[in-house]
Amino acid sequence: MSFTIAQTLDEALAALTAGARPIAGGTDLVVGARQGKAPLPTSLVAIDRLNELALLESTDDGIRVGAGITHARLMNDPMILSDYTALADGAALVGSPSTRNLGTIGGNVMNASPAMDTGAPLMVLGAVVEIQSAQGSRVVELSELWTGPGQTTAAADELCVAIALPPRPAMSGSAYVRLEYRRAMEIAVVGAAASVTLAEDGTISTGSVALSAVAPTIIEVEGASALVAGKTPDDAAAVIGAAASDVAAPISDVRASDGYRRHTVGVMAARAMKAAARRASGEMIGVPVNRAIGVGATL
Amino acid sequence: MTESLTLTVNDVDYPVNIDMGRNLLGVLRNEIGLTGTKEGCDDSECGACMVLLDGQPVNSCSYLAVQAEGRSVSTVEGVMPADGLHPLQRILLEEGGVQCGFCTPGMIMSANGLLERNPSPSEEEIRIGLSGNLCRCTGYAKILAAVARTASEA
Amino acid sequence: MPLLAESKVFIRPDGPDKVTGSGRYVADVTLTGMLTAKFLYAGISHARIVRLDVSAARQIPGVFAVLTHEDVPEHRFGSIADRTLFAKDVVRFEGEVVAAVAAVDADTAQRALAAVIVEYEPLPSVTDLEAAITDGSPLVHEGWADYEAADVERNGNVASFTSMTRGDVDAGLADADHVVSSRYVADASHAAPIEPRGVLAQWEGDRVTIWSSTQVPFQARDGVCETLDLPTNRVRIIVPHMGGGFGGKCGFHYEAHIAALAKTARRPVRLVFSREEEFLAPDRRREGMIVEITTGLNNDGTLTARRARVLLDNGAYSADSSFFPHMAAMHALGPYKIVFNDAAASEIYTNHQPSGSVRAPTAPQACWALESHTDELAAVLGMDPVAFRQLNCIDTGETGVAGQVYDEIGLQECIREAVSGIGYDQELDDSEAIGVAVGWWPSFPGASGAYVKIDNDGKGIITTGAQECGTGSVMTLPILAAAELGMEPEDFELVYQDTSAAPYDEGATGSQTILNNGRATVEAAQQIAVQLKNLAAEKLEASPEDIVLMDGQAHVAGSPDSSISIVKLAALAARGEMLLGKGSGTPADYPSAVGVACVGDQGLSGWAGPQFSCHAVKIRLDQETGVVRVLEVSTAHDSGVIINPTGARGQVEGGVMMGIGQALTEGTVYSEEGGQENPTFLDYKLQTMADAPPIKVHFAEIPTPGLGPHGSKPIAEAPNVATAAAISNAITKLIGRPVGQLPMTAERVWGTMAGQDEA
Repeated sequence: MSFTIAQTLDEALAALTAGARPIAGGTDLVVGARQGKAPLPTSLVAIDRLNELALLESTDDGIRVGAGITHARLMNDPMILSDYTALADGAALVGSPSTRNLGTIGGNVMNASPAMDTGAPLMVLGAVVEIQSAQGSRVVELSELWTGPGQTTAAADELCVAIALPPRPAMSGSAYVRLEYRRAMEIAVVGAAASVTLAEDGTISTGSVALSAVAPTIIEVEGASALVAGKTPDDAAAVIGAAASDVAAPISDVRASDGYRRHTVGVMAARAMKAAARRASGEMIGVPVNRAIGVGATL
Repeated sequence: MTESLTLTVNDVDYPVNIDMGRNLLGVLRNEIGLTGTKEGCDDSECGACMVLLDGQPVNSCSYLAVQAEGRSVSTVEGVMPADGLHPLQRILLEEGGVQCGFCTPGMIMSANGLLERNPSPSEEEIRIGLSGNLCRCTGYAKILAAVARTASEA
Repeated sequence: MPLLAESKVFIRPDGPDKVTGSGRYVADVTLTGMLTAKFLYAGISHARIVRLDVSAARQIPGVFAVLTHEDVPEHRFGSIADRTLFAKDVVRFEGEVVAAVAAVDADTAQRALAAVIVEYEPLPSVTDLEAAITDGSPLVHEGWADYEAADVERNGNVASFTSMTRGDVDAGLADADHVVSSRYVADASHAAPIEPRGVLAQWEGDRVTIWSSTQVPFQARDGVCETLDLPTNRVRIIVPHMGGGFGGKCGFHYEAHIAALAKTARRPVRLVFSREEEFLAPDRRREGMIVEITTGLNNDGTLTARRARVLLDNGAYSADSSFFPHMAAMHALGPYKIVFNDAAASEIYTNHQPSGSVRAPTAPQACWALESHTDELAAVLGMDPVAFRQLNCIDTGETGVAGQVYDEIGLQECIREAVSGIGYDQELDDSEAIGVAVGWWPSFPGASGAYVKIDNDGKGIITTGAQECGTGSVMTLPILAAAELGMEPEDFELVYQDTSAAPYDEGATGSQTILNNGRATVEAAQQIAVQLKNLAAEKLEASPEDIVLMDGQAHVAGSPDSSISIVKLAALAARGEMLLGKGSGTPADYPSAVGVACVGDQGLSGWAGPQFSCHAVKIRLDQETGVVRVLEVSTAHDSGVIINPTGARGQVEGGVMMGIGQALTEGTVYSEEGGQENPTFLDYKLQTMADAPPIKVHFAEIPTPGLGPHGSKPIAEAPNVATAAAISNAITKLIGRPVGQLPMTAERVWGTMAGQDEA
């Protein structure tokens, strides 16, 4: 058993090479160990104090979100709120205030839960993951990173250091909506993120949709852009809702049956599409959409 | 193998020797002897174990004690000033926001963390800010009222 | 005049302990040399034990005791004596204790559990209530007929039953203009106090002290005495602060296991449950239920007859569930004027966790069924459901379903106030609706005792065996004592929930503390009042009958200047005949019911001091997903005169929130074999502060004669009765028919809308 607090990224990467596992907020790792899902690794390196992972900055290619950025910081960051709003929606829904204070975007991405609330937003926003090891670094698409519940293509000595998001075109908006039985402390039963860019006439020019908790990983609705292009937001929502239900391959468990998940993920996708389009048109909808709109109100 | 480290709790330094896998909650309660912080669920779902870590509410059941080294931990035992109850403590009692009391320490820590960041929260901000703290007794109404009143009287 | 001045802020005496973190709960109490206890649970719902070998576990260093059924006296306990401390031969639910370990720490105890060898031969699980009572069903208790239990009829898997008949129901139904039949199915749910239970036992010589998070210290003591063959005066149960009960911590639970471990280990031993254990192991689950109701009604809205059939999921053992059939029967008939009625209710053995008292046992589910049915009746006639209830609900002087005539009651006031509080006639959005339901719940007069003393400085101590589970009922006793003595509540401290220090009390069960222990405390204080008046009379040269105790003074009636302070009198008394009072009083009688043929294992003749309530809720429905949010609640309760208004409101608000959880998100999901699939707070969802609607509370403060102090009735359980029913009626208004299953989860609401019968 060993525990070290890394002071530099190089120290952290060296520890990973030596067999340690990284821990940031520990919200998944510690709870998982206490629930008996997976024992705590025998060697841990804390990465929550690395300045290298704590930057949220504009770059020439969009923005770069350090892996150590917490959900609380994401949901309050002006740049995320204005341009990458779906990510703020997702971050604001994660667990409790405590989980949002401790939990990091890097930890969320690498934990690879199909129910994660930031995954679908990252996917529709075109995020790529910067992964680094002592040997070097690489950039990986989310669809190549996630292979199943809790499974990624990253090697044990590789660390997620940042998430890069491309710049947002003009007239773009995004949103993440999830099904929840309570107004807080929820895990997504299903969820959907949408990103759209509007044409001059208010119809949709391009769009993308990704779904949570309806497959072994977060999945993107393939061909979404073609389905919605040229349509009004309402028409696009109807089409994308049906498409989302079609591609969903959910399980039945104590939270919902597969049939209910299949139905509701379509509802969530349609709502995410509408909310994204409204934001693209310049309308302010508060973050997260779930609480801004409320139950039973129409988007 | 145990780790030797110093934890700073309510501004007091405590040297401890602990296994790496110990959570902060257990170390606070069993090594440091501060039992005001409660365990209700083990997995961050109830909030009875809430402490402040560098001023932010954190479920101490799901946080490794070794990670708290060099950070400032605040527990319910550190809330009361020398001259009597903290306003939130007093107002919680006046409003009837305490019944069995098991969620109370965690509620107080979440509320103090919230009021520290946001001294004039809206009702909705209080509801969300304290949503990680389950209470089975009160129906929340009197706790909500107490936090709102504490903010308005500050 | 209210007992507390309107302007007075009453701070509960245990409040400062709780807000500062200095108050100790069982898990906070440690003793030198203390060991950690852990249980080996069956982990299977029904099986024969073919091998049980603990010898390897006993050899592990640091393990001080490993116990099985072989190590304790052979006794069956429970309301029909069907249970043993440790499983013997057969396990009947997954949380049944097979072995117990005491070791130096949790890891060592865990290793000892892993070293216990136990082999099972699986038996078929009984999990379906209706299948369980068919011929040929496997039996949960094969040898039940041979148990040395109280006088109960042995009939397959039927653990206990009640039938109540009044008049010719068949004729009543035949004469009706309309006959409506409904079927409702409720899932099991949980008390879910935030504190998981703890038990700590220490022997000194042949006496054992047990710190336990029990709502019923004396029942726990008697359970230890019964199962370990000990006299009551050698078993002392102390409850430190307790973190909520809601019935879940009623009954005798694990105190004997831990006492037996501590005796073998010769060390103090402490058990603290995890949340998962708290869900899986105790015999206190709110039972699943099937309710079928048929009602005849006339075109003028009057009811001619009602027949109710209720099956209750008893689970594997009968903790205190044998009176539940009576409760369920009364709730399935309801607080209505019906001439002919008949109800039959049975507790059915299954291989689920045992059911037991959880806050108003049977009432939320049965009320939900009946009140949903009642809205169906109103709909048949096109009547407004509130007007329908106003027409049919009982009022003062009228006769109810059990033939009981009700004295001063406030049900009609409750309906009026709750409905007015919600704004029943408002314009509503298409996604919104208002639902209304009425409920009732009895009071339970019983034996209880208290001592009061005033010491030399004029400060008092109330010593009571009553249990403070959080409701504030024990904390309210100083108000009652102070009122008798012209003192302030703050002049009294409490010694409570200690079986060796105080006289018997039933505990925090049946909302009975102020009713019974309040009566005892008042009587004890009155004895001191007599002493003070005699002393004052001597000093003031007046007659004792003319002495008034007020504002900390004893003065002569009509002559406020002729006075002496109670502090001075206390100093005088401390040197002679001390100020000591004891009380128990005589519990009120249970009224007899008239014209009811009642058959059953246990039951009450009539209801003493019935409490009434009406809850009105405004909800919003997400039509596309079935998600329901409660926006606003308006409640009105007849719980007699209210003694502690803040505390009483807190009971209503908490009961409503628990009711919203039961209505929408709290339900236990079982596997086909009978295991729980959601024993966590993540998937057994309590409502959060973000979900909590504003709740209006109105008390119909009608003084109730001959029951609780100052015309009071109990309040703790009643608020948990009608909320789910009101939510059901609101949902039905939006989707056209009742969901029919509890909880009314989003998926079930959606399924009902879609016309599907999902599982």
